[in-house]
Amino acid sequence: MEHMVDLDEVDDEANTIVASPQRTGFLPIVTNWFDRVFVGIYLFVALELFWMRLLEQSIPLSVCHVLAIVLGVLIVWRG
Amino acid sequence: MRSNRVGWLMLAPTIAILGIFGIVPFLYVLYVAFHQWNPFGANPYMIYNGADNFRRLVFDNEFLTSIAFTLKFAFFAVVSEVILGYLLAQLFMREFPGRGLFRTIHTLPLIVAPIVVGSVWRLMTTPSIGIIPYLLKSWFGYDLNIGRDATMAFALTVIMDIWHWTPLVTLTLLAALVSLPKEPFEQAQIDGANRWQIFWHVTLPMIRPAILATVFIRLMDALRTVDEVWMLTGGGPGAATRYLGLHIWKIVFPKTDYGYGSATSIIVLYLTLVMCWLLYVALVARRDQKRPS
Repeated sequence: MEHMVDLDEVDDEANTIVASPQRTGFLPIVTNWFDRVFVGIYLFVALELFWMRLLEQSIPLSVCHVLAIVLGVLIVWRG
Repeated sequence: MRSNRVGWLMLAPTIAILGIFGIVPFLYVLYVAFHQWNPFGANPYMIYNGADNFRRLVFDNEFLTSIAFTLKFAFFAVVSEVILGYLLAQLFMREFPGRGLFRTIHTLPLIVAPIVVGSVWRLMTTPSIGIIPYLLKSWFGYDLNIGRDATMAFALTVIMDIWHWTPLVTLTLLAALVSLPKEPFEQAQIDGANRWQIFWHVTLPMIRPAILATVFIRLMDALRTVDEVWMLTGGGPGAATRYLGLHIWKIVFPKTDYGYGSATSIIVLYLTLVMCWLLYVALVARRDQKRPS
């Protein structure tokens, strides 16, 4: 065989991948950046829908856009 | 540094298929969701209307009611299928005469198309010609008519789903049970654990990944069920069995309101993802977090 797989090297690489991105923020679970983006998008959509249903009559939807984006950034940054 | 070119090359077909059949249609549906589009209406062109479809959606009582019905349907169907599937898997783990035959017969519903399942159940439950109303009438004096009785119509859609999909759960859990090592069970028996303790502390934690995978698959399927229910009840009586899939179908096909139908589909996808993610966090992520490293 031309290329032999070095198992130690593969293990080291796997450990590096698993260990580096995880951390604990104010969210109640250990997350990586993808989880936080996911949660941010979930909350963005939920907030927009609730705003349309309950608050849009009195407060414009653009306020919700700003709040949802700020919340998303906060979750990705500190979540 | 190792080159990942071969790895990417091997992944390329999967990524291409996922892109063509998954991501591109999703992006197109998302695009249509922000437009008013009725190709068979007076104006057949797409007209951008911002978030109007979503605004209409949150005030659509039929849609909100169908969410409630769908969640109720998914809960009863998935819970029953998992419990029944586990019990059947345990049964198939034991030796008894005709086990192979019973296992084969039990798997047969899986190979029947959902539309056929729906029509067969429709025939079986139609008053005056169906065997189920006939037996219920002659044995218990109960007059079954799913065209009038909303509770029975709902119950029958759940029972039909259980009949159709429990074999899938059984097969998955059977595969998980067969692959379990014997040592932990022997150890638990030596320690004096009873059957319930063995189930709760040994079997269940070891087959948890298989149960979770099955629940996810069944939950996603239950939330988008259309054809079986369409054939059995047509969404009635009233809107008692008008589940989300059927609701979208009625918007998109009879009404040809593609923009609004796309917005509804996006929200259903969103709800499905949220539910699966919450379930994952509740059952896996928080639990893994508590484990000592």
